[in-house]
Amino acid sequence: MHDLATDAELPKEGQHLFQLRSLSFNYADGHCALQDIDLDINTGDKVALVGQNGAGKTTLVKHLNGIYTNQTGSLLYKGQSIQDDNLIRARRQVGILFQDPDDHLFNNTIYEDVAFGPMNQGLARDVVDERVRKALERVGLDNLMFKAPHNLSYGQKKRAAFAAIMAMEPEVLILDEPTANLDSKQEQIFAQLLQDFGGTLICISHDLLFLYGLCSRAVVLDHGRIHHDYSLNELVSHRASLREHGLDFTFRFIDCCHSSESHDHSESHDHGESHEHSETHDHLTLSQSDKQTAVRILSPPMEGVPGEKSQVIRLDNYSFQYKDGTWGFKDINMTVNEGEKIAFVGENGAGKSTLAGCILGIKQGAGKYYFKNNLITHSGREKLWRQIGMVFQDSSDQLFCPSCEEEVAFGPKQMGLSPLELEKRVTEALALVKLSGFEKRVPMNLSGGERRRLAIAAVLSMHPQVLILDEPTANLDPRNEELLLHILHNLPVTQILISHDMFFVNNSSHRTVVMHQGSILSDLPTSDFFEDEHLVGHQLDYAYKNICGREIMKMQEAVENGG
Amino acid sequence: MIDTAETIYVPFGGLILAAGLLLPIIVIIIRRSLKAARDRKAGHHHRHEHDWSVPVLDACSNLDSVFHRWDPRLKIFSLLVYCFLVAALTQIIWAFCALIFSLAAVKLAKIPFRNTKRRLMAMVGFLGMFLVIMPLTVPTQPGDLLLFFQPVPVPFNVRGFLLAILIILKAFAIALIMEPLLNTAPLPVTIQALRHLRIPDMICQMILLSHRYIFVFLNEANRMYTGMRVRGFRQKTNLATLHTMGNFLGMLFVSSFERTQRVYDAMLSRGYNGTFPVYTNFSARPKDWLFGIFWILLGTGLLFLDRTGTFIIW
Repeated sequence: MHDLATDAELPKEGQHLFQLRSLSFNYADGHCALQDIDLDINTGDKVALVGQNGAGKTTLVKHLNGIYTNQTGSLLYKGQSIQDDNLIRARRQVGILFQDPDDHLFNNTIYEDVAFGPMNQGLARDVVDERVRKALERVGLDNLMFKAPHNLSYGQKKRAAFAAIMAMEPEVLILDEPTANLDSKQEQIFAQLLQDFGGTLICISHDLLFLYGLCSRAVVLDHGRIHHDYSLNELVSHRASLREHGLDFTFRFIDCCHSSESHDHSESHDHGESHEHSETHDHLTLSQSDKQTAVRILSPPMEGVPGEKSQVIRLDNYSFQYKDGTWGFKDINMTVNEGEKIAFVGENGAGKSTLAGCILGIKQGAGKYYFKNNLITHSGREKLWRQIGMVFQDSSDQLFCPSCEEEVAFGPKQMGLSPLELEKRVTEALALVKLSGFEKRVPMNLSGGERRRLAIAAVLSMHPQVLILDEPTANLDPRNEELLLHILHNLPVTQILISHDMFFVNNSSHRTVVMHQGSILSDLPTSDFFEDEHLVGHQLDYAYKNICGREIMKMQEAVENGG
Repeated sequence: MIDTAETIYVPFGGLILAAGLLLPIIVIIIRRSLKAARDRKAGHHHRHEHDWSVPVLDACSNLDSVFHRWDPRLKIFSLLVYCFLVAALTQIIWAFCALIFSLAAVKLAKIPFRNTKRRLMAMVGFLGMFLVIMPLTVPTQPGDLLLFFQPVPVPFNVRGFLLAILIILKAFAIALIMEPLLNTAPLPVTIQALRHLRIPDMICQMILLSHRYIFVFLNEANRMYTGMRVRGFRQKTNLATLHTMGNFLGMLFVSSFERTQRVYDAMLSRGYNGTFPVYTNFSARPKDWLFGIFWILLGTGLLFLDRTGTFIIW
């Protein structure tokens, strides 16, 4: 085995850590993922790699670690081409955290997974042991190190995968959507861990607010080409540029800076600083007033909350217990009225998805469940699919047909509708989610945003009375997110939304139900929920992101005013 | 041939009697169904919430027993030899003895019988078919005893029935011995012991990764199937079901293939060069050798008695 673990040399003066020249890459099916990429990355750079779904970001970072070899053009790591000994060196010094933590955890215990990298580095056993324990302690999983990965929650898996990378003590850290599907608490843990990282950082994310607190440089990819390579401040302060690349997230902050209250608050927070900010944005510390009032910069919650309408769903003392005896949730009492849009929020594992599963009828708990004032019995549960539709967190779970047309027609076909009605519903549903013309396309070949919309169409074609959406914005770029928001706004059905995305919750729900450890902590109109000063206690503290958002909005205003 | 077989015509009551012998099994099935129904009512279980879980191979590896302390290489070698010797048995009495020894080994390894029972129950459905099919299909030989349960016209060959019992006993004996073989050391240690026994590295890695990802794939299959059910899919005996299940399996294959590629990428990115790095060192003590020799002698003894003993039942 090559022993290159400790002989890492920094690039010479004036030499880039990575130097890419005219790099292009085509997949086997002919799809061109990268075209003429010219990029230099220096030691210590904190780079945000952004772009729409399918822009080529993941393909690019796979080159930096030597997973993909360059087909045309050149790629130098520390002045040498990534092959032979330098390939081994690159793989040991450049750590990549992929989106799905299950891809990283292929051993039988977390300990073995974290030890895998250092062992491949050829380190002595005691050194490996020390590194593993240290890395797991940093991510707060030292008490679970001998657990099998499939026994961990998603957030824990994500942190374990991160520890597996960090145990290799990489000089370069590449992260692909590190915060997707994580609750705010887990996200904050990640943000803190990354801020402590002193090496070169390359982060792919659609969450510009998260990147804003972490990176100083932005590289924008579009259809496999680099469109911009400038500071993150420049990127976020040009709304037109953001919009051009489908990255404009400011639709979440409509009217934000026009609120006198928030403006006043912004003034007090601004301290007369210019809009320049430090490399890692560490001045974004939170005061208590920030935590309590920052949410007010958000757009006003949805209006037109339905009045006293008929109850669609009612749960009386409803509980669900898993086979191993743990409670999914306990003694839930709640009602959902017709036309209402309700958001379930809370930390990972709070019981939100389990409750949705019970409402949908795929899980049965104990207690009384009424749908349209009818008590749902076992046989009634079997028929709920005709009235309640659900779009799952991972759209791939829902798509299994060879064409979009068949996919959307699947549900109505099970309902026994006539071919004419089927055709009508397919056309309608695809048009509703802006996928007209996609009838013959293969669902697996669609982008993430398109797949999500197709999954929604597949449910809408069944004309459900209640639509449940589990983390609808996860992994979506801002353009797709905005489109999704628009689609949901115009849907005349009762909606139940499960999300960690407070901005989305604020913009798309009338009522917010906070769940914690299987219980309902509060059930408030969304506007009141965001006034609730106990958000922090509920691990739903989004103040940091709000402050980032506010700063960005001010920069955009300044640019628009020619300042 | 059938002329030289002994034939007994059993009156209709005999058929009832034979059915009565199956009564305990029927009672067990009914009791389980009732319990499941009670659980459903109490909300503890769901009819369509299939138990997709797979028993973890090395769930009891953290216990302490003579099997846990045994050198894994010798354990694998001697118990596998024992299994082959048991597989060669031809008489029910010795197969039954082998089953007793296997049960004793499970007890000695301190493995909870609940886990063992779960594995055995998984085999019951398949092996149970032997009891029904073999007596009716085994070719009749001279000296066979054929029972005709009137008015059923098909002969019930007792030799076929006993052959089925022999197969079941041997299958259970071998399946049970897999518990102390695989469940008393962490899987990576067992895999490394296999490497020491010159099993190709590729196979060892495949076992290791299969064990890890079977949970992930089953979870994916479960989620996808749930996605189909909430859109109204119910399995029926028709072409539409076949078409849908074909799509389901195809999609599962594609997503599994993609997952495999992503896992391989993740392994490469962490310096994987074709071999799993390991640090475990094995050292066999004299008592490890003795224990290994004991199991091989035990199997050999059973085979010897089987071939030369007088306990021939049929």
